[in-house]
Amino acid sequence: MKKGLFHRGPRNGATNTPSPAPPNPKKDPQTPQISPLEKRLQDMGPIRVDGSDKFFGMENYGNTCYCNSILQCLYYSVPFREAVINYPQRTPVESLEAALAQNLRYQNPNAHLEAEAQAAKQKAANPPARQNGATPNQPQKPEDKDSPEYKKKVALQTLPILETKNNSNSYGMSESLFTSLKDIFESLVGSQSRIGIIRPQQFLDVLRREHEMFRTAMHQDAHEFLNLLLNEVVSNVEAEATKQNFTEKALPPSESADSLGLTTSTGSKSPNTTRWVHELFEGILTSETKCLTCEKVSQRDEVFLDLSVDLEQHSSVTSCLRKFSAEEMLCERNKFHCDNCGGLQEAEKRMKIKRLPRVLALHLKRFKYTEDLQRLQKLFHRVVYPYHLRLFNTTDDAEDPDRLYELYAVVVHIGGGPYHGHYVAIIKTEDRGWLLFDDELVEPVDKSYVRNFFGDRPGLACAYVLFYQETTLEAVLREQAQEDQAASAAASESAAQPNGNLFHVQSVPADDPNRLVPIHKTTTAPGQMPVHPEIPEHEPVTLPPLQTSEVPPPPPIPSEPAHALSPKKSDVQSRKEKAREEKEQRAAQKVAEKAAKEERENNDRAERARRKEAEQQRQAQIKQEAADLERALKASKEASKPDAADVGPENGSPRESSRFNIFRRSSRSISHRLSKDKEKDPRMSTSTTDGAPTPVPELPGREEVSVPPAVPAKDTPRLSSSLPTSTPFPPIQENNHFNHNHTSTDSVNVNGFPKVTPKSNGNHDYLPLLSTSPKANHTSHMGISSPISIKSPGGHHHGNGSSDKVGNGTGTTNRWRSFSFKKSAAS
Amino acid sequence: MFVLPPPPPRYTIPVAYAAGAANGMAVPVVETNNTISHPESGCPLQVGEGTYILKDDLLLATPPPHPSEAPIVNPNPLATVPNPPTSGVKLSLVTLDPRKKPPQFLKGPVLAPQFGDGNPALAPPTAPPAKDALKRRKPKNNIIKSSSSFVSRVITHETSAKRLSDRDPNGVFAFANINRAFQWLDITSASKEDHLTKVLFTKSHMLCHDINELTKTASHLDIVMGSSAGDIIWYEPMSQKYARINKNGVINNSPVTHIKWLPGSENLFMASHANGALVVYDKEKEDALFTPENTGITEESSQLPLDILKSVNSRNQKTNPVSFWKLAGQKISSFSFSPDQRHLAVVLEDGSLRLMDYLKEEVLDIFRSYYGGLICVCWSPDGKYIVTGGQDDLVTIWSFPERRIVARCQGHNSWVSSVAFDPWRCDQKTYRFGSVGDDCRLLLWDFSVGMLHRPRAHHQNSARHRSSLVPPAAPPAPRHRADSGANRMRSDSEKTENFYGDIEPVASHPIEPRSRTALLPPIMSKIVGEDPICWLGFQNDSIMTSSLEGHIRTWDRPSDSVLNHDRRR
Repeated sequence: MKKGLFHRGPRNGATNTPSPAPPNPKKDPQTPQISPLEKRLQDMGPIRVDGSDKFFGMENYGNTCYCNSILQCLYYSVPFREAVINYPQRTPVESLEAALAQNLRYQNPNAHLEAEAQAAKQKAANPPARQNGATPNQPQKPEDKDSPEYKKKVALQTLPILETKNNSNSYGMSESLFTSLKDIFESLVGSQSRIGIIRPQQFLDVLRREHEMFRTAMHQDAHEFLNLLLNEVVSNVEAEATKQNFTEKALPPSESADSLGLTTSTGSKSPNTTRWVHELFEGILTSETKCLTCEKVSQRDEVFLDLSVDLEQHSSVTSCLRKFSAEEMLCERNKFHCDNCGGLQEAEKRMKIKRLPRVLALHLKRFKYTEDLQRLQKLFHRVVYPYHLRLFNTTDDAEDPDRLYELYAVVVHIGGGPYHGHYVAIIKTEDRGWLLFDDELVEPVDKSYVRNFFGDRPGLACAYVLFYQETTLEAVLREQAQEDQAASAAASESAAQPNGNLFHVQSVPADDPNRLVPIHKTTTAPGQMPVHPEIPEHEPVTLPPLQTSEVPPPPPIPSEPAHALSPKKSDVQSRKEKAREEKEQRAAQKVAEKAAKEERENNDRAERARRKEAEQQRQAQIKQEAADLERALKASKEASKPDAADVGPENGSPRESSRFNIFRRSSRSISHRLSKDKEKDPRMSTSTTDGAPTPVPELPGREEVSVPPAVPAKDTPRLSSSLPTSTPFPPIQENNHFNHNHTSTDSVNVNGFPKVTPKSNGNHDYLPLLSTSPKANHTSHMGISSPISIKSPGGHHHGNGSSDKVGNGTGTTNRWRSFSFKKSAAS
Repeated sequence: MFVLPPPPPRYTIPVAYAAGAANGMAVPVVETNNTISHPESGCPLQVGEGTYILKDDLLLATPPPHPSEAPIVNPNPLATVPNPPTSGVKLSLVTLDPRKKPPQFLKGPVLAPQFGDGNPALAPPTAPPAKDALKRRKPKNNIIKSSSSFVSRVITHETSAKRLSDRDPNGVFAFANINRAFQWLDITSASKEDHLTKVLFTKSHMLCHDINELTKTASHLDIVMGSSAGDIIWYEPMSQKYARINKNGVINNSPVTHIKWLPGSENLFMASHANGALVVYDKEKEDALFTPENTGITEESSQLPLDILKSVNSRNQKTNPVSFWKLAGQKISSFSFSPDQRHLAVVLEDGSLRLMDYLKEEVLDIFRSYYGGLICVCWSPDGKYIVTGGQDDLVTIWSFPERRIVARCQGHNSWVSSVAFDPWRCDQKTYRFGSVGDDCRLLLWDFSVGMLHRPRAHHQNSARHRSSLVPPAAPPAPRHRADSGANRMRSDSEKTENFYGDIEPVASHPIEPRSRTALLPPIMSKIVGEDPICWLGFQNDSIMTSSLEGHIRTWDRPSDSVLNHDRRR
């Protein structure tokens, strides 16, 4: 329905633009050369408001490919993109467009032909001059039209160029790396062209202004950049939130905590906390250390934003992750300081994942420090990575330990060493398959292309950072079914050529219903949701649909009448009217899309809830079985065990009812989850360890006493005044870390980010909250963790490499949870 | 400040690879000979029954590229041109020695009907007056004199005629593919490194091959091989005759990933293709352009687990294919026939294991890997268990009669490329199988029925023991029905309701969580080479592996290690 109406901008949306300039390559019959990307983008329908249909190259300003590849990966991390666009609020499309009218520059698509003709003329004029500078090969082959360099040049000459400029004022924020990132994303979303080249000049300016190491035109490490960018986004956002809280209201300390979550989220669309980066990329690692002298097991939680894994020749990512969690002996110079028996002791240590992140960024440590060469060397190990992944190294109490991940982006490093080379990104887009992003160049590739970068192929190109996102088996199966369909469609297309095009067109709508599938399902979702205790927490997010419910019919319909009008008037219409109408359409569409998105979100949540439920059920089952066993053992005392007796009949009862029963009985795990959810709240600490002393106050005071002074020392006084919020760290300190980066990569295993200590202070305020909740599970793992976990972060049980590092940087210790559990590469 | 050397150009051309390599290894410029080495220290495999000693390591020579096919050197590592499929070295072994036959575990003779039994169109023509019952029909064309553009040339070793006449009639022949070559070796001869003949193809690589066990005689061997172009060659090495089937991909132009003679059939063989098609061909029949026969339900058929584009019961059996099934749009990695010759286990790149009653052309069950694609599959000699290996680095044991997962076997550090049972170390209660993988390792595993029922045998010594209380993955049969709605292949949202009805005969099983599945450790794990291992085979006196780059390694069994159980039980 709306497909037909929007049909006029089929290829790249360029025809939709109000600007008169664009000579649409498609319309010109003289240039039938349609790029592979354009081919892949056929039948896209109307421009979308979520930005999922923009495929822009990025200009390279000399070795800025590290930045380009990471930015592209982040842009196609859907939840991340949406969060960036929506925080603190979404810029209205109108103002975006106004800005873009000046920023989007169309070029003559034949520019390169003209340039070539000119060059040819020139060459004809003075051929010998040219030969001098050129390699002997060049005269015969003037320019390889298949070379990426040539394609990039052409792209730069012909494609629309999108400039970004600082728009931070309209976000109500001061310019920062985050706002310039948002500028890029919003420009892309607002662009009327689907393809083009974006110039991240302003982003780089900010980056270079704030981080000295990026000022040179030298090659940088893409993974370090990713880590820095995520940390910067976190600190920018948090700093801004703090600032706004100061300026906007002097909050009474008691109230502030409750309202914080809401105050920042007055804009209905925005993520209502500043913690969206955490929620996406953050996971929790637990290191279990067992002192071999007293056998005491201590646990320590660390948050991470990405995992760096050591590589072995002929291994898989699965195996690298497993190795990462392998047991490690702490001995000799690397002994563990045991608080229980006092002093340095030999110990066994292993790292496990306690909370799985939604987006798992895996850094393959291809650059290894070699002692004899005194520098980093690139490892060309063959490391295979599957399209899907689950993690084996989870703790026993991890939530959803069988979570399924799918590979959606790969950053590839091409080159022989760490100090030079090239980065590209290969990304799975939402509905247009896999694309290769090589700076200015965007090319569609096969799914199997992703497998060319295990490290065993000629050409020095290896996968360097892998992005996996959570998914469900259902989604995977749906996608496979789609692929099957596409394959058979392609087959029939090639079989019946005259109808081929028709087939293709038909195959695309087949995609579309699938995109909308969530909507169908959501009809059932609200019914399910109240069952789940978690939903009310998110109510603020689900509220907006109520407002949009003034548009009662399902999303696509409102856009229809608006469109039906347009063809009639189109001749008479002034451009302004047209623009306005388009705006309306877009607004309507936006509303629709928003509803759809919300529904999708709901759906996601329901899905998650469902999964949790299943998990819970399983746990309950396990518990039940345990209870059964117990009952059998103590048959005589059965009367005293009503709980276990309860279980009996349930075995035979239908599943539905047992599920409810489980809910009733497993309050433990629910409360556990509640407390976990609290953690997601900005007020609560991410680190359970810091909270540990509070619920278990009767523990030996030794560590607790030592901790608070050891951790925030300077910060504490300042904090108490600004209790609930998190104090951002001065960015300067980061340089500390990053200046070392080349030599330290090896020892940095977990690039976590600040376990922002101020928050843990905030945690104390929430003690009442915690203790009121039934916290059986909570305290139980606290109980384990508490004895030693509170040790000062610079403790000896860090790996040797990092303990030096941690030791000297008092300020950075808490900021950068970078430590190694492997013996450092040197040894 | 430390000054770095100027950066090299963005796209570097490594010299070592300039010759153009299919597997990432250097390709020689001239034809070379196979070499053999006898490692001094050996590469002993130590297990309970004794030590397997590495006898030798035969390295097959990689042929140089065909002159007309000058290697295309693309300096750009990002080139989006798809790479032609290739495969590491795989072996097909054949012997006429009855003592080398693996022990049988089935009670009584196999009574399975022939594929296509009951279709008069497939009934063998009234037997021609055979002068000699053992006289086999040979393919038509002489491969040595062939002018085909598909076959480049055939190199016959100068001594091969003499060696063939002098050889021990009970020796073992091996056939091996490497790059564009296909070698015939006599691995029981003293000079086993010298090939008997070597067939070089122009462009295509042979990816898989199989020898017909039913028709083999001292003077006749029926070999089929599937190529990267989709073409299939029927080859008779004794007479050097061959025939082409699916010529130029006329029936299916996607690469052949696996090929097997139908058990008990002289003429029929099954080939899986990379586009998800499972096709039965007749070696005697001519090709014909294939058009799907039942086109009436194309819209839905693409969602059925098995899309029968041509049934074996079709009346039109004058030409190939005999039957044509489409399983998925994804690559079929491998398949394996059950010992009772009634069932078929197929593994796919989409991570599914599909159990079929191939005689009835039905899919019975669909299981899924823990994650990632499945690569290899085999049956236990008694047909009770199926073992798969895949991209989750796991070897997984499935019970066929109970239709459930039995255990996941953890021990590989990379993808598992081949699994095989060792029938000489199996009896009715205990099973021995081996696996090899991209991690260059050979692993051996033992399991027994009793052992597997123990829940999570080696659970980590964690503080919580709750999972050790879980009974051994009791098959929650009623739960399957209800739960699997989400996991069904046809998980189309609109059709979800249907899944709860019992109209669906195919059981799609959910993935068992880790915490409920038994975990099996290997009894032996050893790095046996420096390149990924891609094939594994057990002989009555040895274990053999072959690798990506062409190393064929043979370990002698320790003496008396073959279980001396009654074979005809």
